[in-house]
Amino acid sequence: MNPKIQRLADVDRIIHEPSRLMVVALLAAVKEADFQYLLQSTGLTKGNLSVHLSKLEEAGYIAIEKTFRGKYPLTICRLTERGREVLDNYRKVMKAAL
Amino acid sequence: MADSAVDPNTVARRLIQRAHNSDGLPEIAAGLTCLCVSGLEYLLMAPRESIASTIAAVVFAFLLLLLGLGAPWAMKSLRKRYLIGRWGYVQYKPIGRKQIGIGITVAILMAGAVFGVVTGLLPVGGWLLGGTGLVGGALVAWCGRLLRFVIGGVVVAAAGLFLAFSGVSGPTGFAILFGFQGLMALVSGTVVFVRFIRRPIGTRES
Repeated sequence: MNPKIQRLADVDRIIHEPSRLMVVALLAAVKEADFQYLLQSTGLTKGNLSVHLSKLEEAGYIAIEKTFRGKYPLTICRLTERGREVLDNYRKVMKAAL
Repeated sequence: MADSAVDPNTVARRLIQRAHNSDGLPEIAAGLTCLCVSGLEYLLMAPRESIASTIAAVVFAFLLLLLGLGAPWAMKSLRKRYLIGRWGYVQYKPIGRKQIGIGITVAILMAGAVFGVVTGLLPVGGWLLGGTGLVGGALVAWCGRLLRFVIGGVVVAAAGLFLAFSGVSGPTGFAILFGFQGLMALVSGTVVFVRFIRRPIGTRES
């Protein structure tokens, strides 16, 4: 088998899930975004998004900070260096395989 | 990448675009800008005999400049101050040199075209009217990337072609085309904005 295609087996499973890929790709394109922005841009449900964010935070791909802007509570998410590296690697593997 | 749908950059661009257009404010700004262009075009082709028409033309030109430069800032502050609970908070990355270059090039080309039309250096024929409708429609569809923008783009392109073949004079055709496009964007944006405001906080776009 083509070694480039074989590398697909090593693809990061956490990022490979479509909903999490959406979130990570979005966070890679902006500096930071809050839960509400991610909710309305990805079209996921609250519970679904919350679970995916927890998994990404556990893996160390995103950092979550809870703060306030005026009276509104904000859950601000940003991609970590590790998350950026994993996404770059994922992009390379997929590009080579496809 | 063979399939751009799996390219994270493409995915991110589409998602950001979708979020950007979710409250209808960009459409309202674009609609007001088009109506200003239409008004200016109408005033410029009218006989310049009265001082009132000259003043109105200057006011429209000033409004156009104000909308072009101030709309992004106004949208940003409106969202931050009043819509943060619904629209969410996002901090974009600084705009790259390439995008700034593209923006400046487009602005120079458009200013050149408007100058050419107003001074008569660029002959306004049906081809320019039809072309503007087609390019404008394609831009609306491409920039919005949502069904309502695609439909709007097709309608604008059809209106441009209809005006081009209807035999109306160039300036009149442009005033009608921009006026029509502006009204359509304004109505569509207002409907989306009202629906966005009436949606309970914390829910996603349906």
